[in-house]
Formats: sequence, C-alpha cells, structure tokens
Amino acid sequence: MSAIPYTATEVPEVLVQRQTRSGRIAMTLAVLAMIGVAAMPWWASTGTIRSVLVLCCYIAVAQMWNLLAGYAGLVSVGQHAFMGAAGYALFVLAQTYGINPFVAVFLSLLVPAALAVPIYLLLHRLDGPYFSIGTWVVAEVFRLTASNLPLVNSGAGMSLRVMKDYSAFERNVAMSLLCAGMLLVTLGGSYWLLRSRFGLALIAMRDNPVAAASQGVNVVKLRFLIYVASAVGCGLAGAIYFMAQLRITPGSAFDPMWANVAIFIVMVGGIGSIEGVLIGSLIFFIADRWFGEYGATYFVVLGLMTLLVALYARTGIWGLISKRWDAPWFPIRRKLVDPNR
Amino acid sequence: MEWFDALVQGVLLGGMYAQYALGMALMFGVMRIVNISHGDLVILLSLIGISIATAWGLGPLPVLIVLVPLAVLMGWVLQKAVLNRVVGSDPLPSLIATFGLSIALQNLMLQIWSANSRSLPGHGIESQSIEIGGIYVGLLPLIVLAVATGLTWGLDLALKRTRLGRALRAASADVEAAAMTGINPRAVYAMATAAAVGILGFAAVFQALRSTVAPADGPAQLIYAFEAVIIGGMGTVWGAFAGSMVLGISQAIGFRIDPGFGVLAGHIVFLIVLATRPQGLFGKALS
Repeated sequence: MSAIPYTATEVPEVLVQRQTRSGRIAMTLAVLAMIGVAAMPWWASTGTIRSVLVLCCYIAVAQMWNLLAGYAGLVSVGQHAFMGAAGYALFVLAQTYGINPFVAVFLSLLVPAALAVPIYLLLHRLDGPYFSIGTWVVAEVFRLTASNLPLVNSGAGMSLRVMKDYSAFERNVAMSLLCAGMLLVTLGGSYWLLRSRFGLALIAMRDNPVAAASQGVNVVKLRFLIYVASAVGCGLAGAIYFMAQLRITPGSAFDPMWANVAIFIVMVGGIGSIEGVLIGSLIFFIADRWFGEYGATYFVVLGLMTLLVALYARTGIWGLISKRWDAPWFPIRRKLVDPNR
Repeated sequence: MEWFDALVQGVLLGGMYAQYALGMALMFGVMRIVNISHGDLVILLSLIGISIATAWGLGPLPVLIVLVPLAVLMGWVLQKAVLNRVVGSDPLPSLIATFGLSIALQNLMLQIWSANSRSLPGHGIESQSIEIGGIYVGLLPLIVLAVATGLTWGLDLALKRTRLGRALRAASADVEAAAMTGINPRAVYAMATAAAVGILGFAAVFQALRSTVAPADGPAQLIYAFEAVIIGGMGTVWGAFAGSMVLGISQAIGFRIDPGFGVLAGHIVFLIVLATRPQGLFGKALS
C-alpha cells in the first residue's frame, strides 16, 4: 500500500452569504419589536403589558421546547417542572429572605439549572418515548414535593407581597424590560446558537443523530447542554410569569397546561424553526383570547389540530410557507456565491 | 401487623396497576410507541360502562362483557386511523399525535359527562370482605388481582405459543425481517393495540368499581402504568406485572406513613430504580 498522492486543487474564490434580504427586513422588525416591548410603560396600559407578557412567555417556552424536540430530539412533556421551580425560587428568595425581587429573578435561575443536571442524568437512560413520560413524572414529583414542603408554605401557596413596595409604573418598567430581555435571550440566543458552529452540529443532529456522531459531533454532550439551557430558559419564563401573577401554588406552578401550549405552538407553527414558533405563538395567543371562553370545546379542537398536524403536516405552517416561498426571516444557511459570475 | 397489612393492600393495588401496565408494555415492546392517551382510554371506557350500567340497569359482569369487545374495537381503530401513520424510529410523531388525542379525549369527556366523579354500582360486591390469617381483605381487590394474574399469564402464553404471538415477537425483534417472512406488520400492530386496549376494558370496569373516575384522571393512570413498566423491566409481561406489585406496595406503605406521601413514594421508588437499575428490577442488563 502506498499513499495516494494528493494534488492540491485550486480553491475557487467564493463568498459565503449568510444573510438575505428577507432576513435583514425581519431582523429590523424584530429589533423594533424588542424596543417596542422594552418601552411598553410609555405607550401601553397595564392590561396590555400583562397580555404582552403572557405572549412573551408563550414564545420563550415554545422556543425552549422547540430547541429540545426540534433539534436535540428530546421530546419533553414536563418543562413546566422548571418554570414552577424557578417561580418558587423567586418567591422564596424575595418573600422569605427579603432579596430584591428584580435581583432574585436572576438568582432563581440557578435552581432549574442545578435541578436539570441530575434529572437529565437520570432520564437519559430512558428510551425515546419513555423519556417523555419520565419528564412528566419529574414535574409531578416537583408538584407533590412543593405540596408537602413547609418552606414554600405547602399546598396553600405563596404570595409576593414585597412587590407592593414598588409603584405600578416601576413594576411595569421592570416587567417590560424583563420581557424584552427574555425574548433576547431565548429567541436571540437560539438564533445566535443556530448560526454558530454549534448550530451546524445541532442541525446535523436533528437530521440524523448517528450520522452526526460519525462526523465528530458530540451528540451526548450537546443533548445534555441543550436540556440544561432549555431548563434555564423555561425557568426564566416561569419566574417572570409568576412575578406578574404575584401568587404561586403547586397546582399553578406545575401546570401541565404549559406542555400543551408549547407542543401546540411548535407543532402548528412548524417544528425546527424560529419562524414557526413566532407564527404558532401568535395563533395560540389570538385563539386563546377569541375562543378561550368556549372552554372544553376549544381544547378538543386544539387537541385534534395537534393530532392532525402530527399525522398530515409535520412541518407545520412554516413548513408549508417555506416550501412555497424561499424567504426565511431568520436565515441560518450558508450559501456560497461566486463573485465572478 | 400494620405493615403486613400495608404490604397486602399494596399487592392488591398492584393488581389494578398491572391491568394498565400490560397494554403499555405490549405496545412498546412491539412498536416502540407510547400511547399518551392510554390512561384517558381507561377513563373513557369506565364512563361508557357507567352510562351503560345506569341506562340498562346492568351489573358489573354484563358491563364487562360489553366493554371488552368495545375496547378491542377501539384499539383496532386507533391503530388503523392514527398509530399506523406515525409508527417509526422517530418517537416525535407518535408522541405528539397521542398527546393531541389525549387532550381532545379529556375535554370531550368533560363535555359529555361533566367534571363529576362517578363510579360503577357493584351491587354489594365492592363492600364484601373475607378474613385471611387475621386480616380482612376486600373481595373486589382479590378478584382484581386474580384477573390481573390471569391476564398476564394468558398474554405471556399467547405470545409464546400462538401464531399471532410469534408474529408479534418477530415484528418486535426486526420488523423488516418479519415482513420478508410474510408477516404484515400493520396487521400485527393492529392486533397488538387491539389486545392492549382490550385489556384496558377490564381495567376500566375494575377502576370504576373500586373507586371513582372523572374525566381528568387519565394522566395519573398513564404515569402509574409507565412506572410499573420501567420498575419491572422493559420487554416482558411478567416484568410489568412485578413492577406493578412494587409500585402498589410502595404507594400503600407511603400512604401509611403520611396520606400526602403515598403517590410521591411511588414516584421516588421509580426514580431510585432508574438511578440504580435502569434496566428494571427484573430486566436483563444490556451488555
């Protein structure tokens, strides 16, 4: 055996194009929207701010679920465990230990991060679909533990009375800034991640984990990191949501409704894309306001829509749109352009 | 004596859980699918049974005779209409489809039967008890345990001895190789789900007899079935049976320690088993 002689081939001069016109327009709009959210106290009523806050929580939780299910292949139905854990941590730090609540929001994120590590090490032993039910059991364990834990006032729940030390305007400013920050971290962070080297690895993993591993992607480590990141993102949404609610109980903190919301938004909007999360969140937010009064019937329709999407249109609305028009809002592709042609 | 009593009660409770767990173990073993609406189907069948019993004035046994064929039919339709389209190596589609079905079913039941808890009139059978070795044991839980044992034994035998059982095992080992030998995987899958949901027909009658059912109870039953399967060890029906016993005993002892701790004790035993013996107490370790 002799080594095959390697002749250096001439590399053509090309440019790597990473942004498109649709992407630049969408980015401008996204930045304007973010500024609009941060500046809400100066143009919106308290009621509007609360509605936008709920919408931002939908977007954040859905994007965290999208990151898990759409890229890491981890289908969780128990991310509300981390929302409730961070919410409770905020209430304990701010109410029981008297830490400034706006500092406590960030400190409370340590709790979902610390919990996610052992939980993932346990649950990753479960195979595919069993992993999902395992995440649900963990959320139930959290709920039952909170119901029996005197530190968090057991089943009776806690109130965030320290918030009355701040004026309504101060609270609105804080909520608006927190919402804008949450969008920046969850959406902006995901976009940055997907455009980075890790993004290539994540997309390779989404398409085929075995092939990705053979190309040198550390699938095990990447899945673990995504799980922890998603727990922290859900925790941030939980802390902000319950800070606005001013009250937390085991039933509301660990409410499986959030799993429904995340799955509906991502599946209907389009899994594996940020655009899908935005579309799905807007649809769910509007549907919830228009049809929420129909209660059970509304949820029957929601459930059937999720079922139909899983059966017939797995790429969701964004999948159908992007098949027709090639105009991504958040382009993550690398396109080679020959400047001489 | 008090702890021995808890142990006996736990075994009897395990008989109930075994009836949920068998179907889940069968479906996962054959198709690698978890049906998230598993528990909701139990509740749906229970509520149908209660409505039939009150409308026609039937006792528990005739209700069982009506309900089990209905359950088999429901399982077959579920496989044909939904699961055959989502079965595959990617767990996402089947999870999302059955998750959506679960939400729809829960809320549909809420519309039809309201949120009230109901139970099946047992014409006295639910309050009879017999004395064994100094402790009183309810007659109904004993029947539940006996039926669970019989179902496990029958399912195990059917898998080992019958043509259909061989086809099921072949499809679970290697679906493509099985298809090459002339087995139609989709027909086999439909049989597996029909059998799994058929067993839930028994579970539905006993669940409605021994306690109450309400439309929102499904997810808890799904979680108990899942925990029993994982504790026992995936892959065998007797493993699922044994796991149900361990779960039942854990919960019964937990309830004795503190009524708020019972269900949590079951979850904790599940997590301990997952941490120390991920292949399950009675499963074979993967080398």
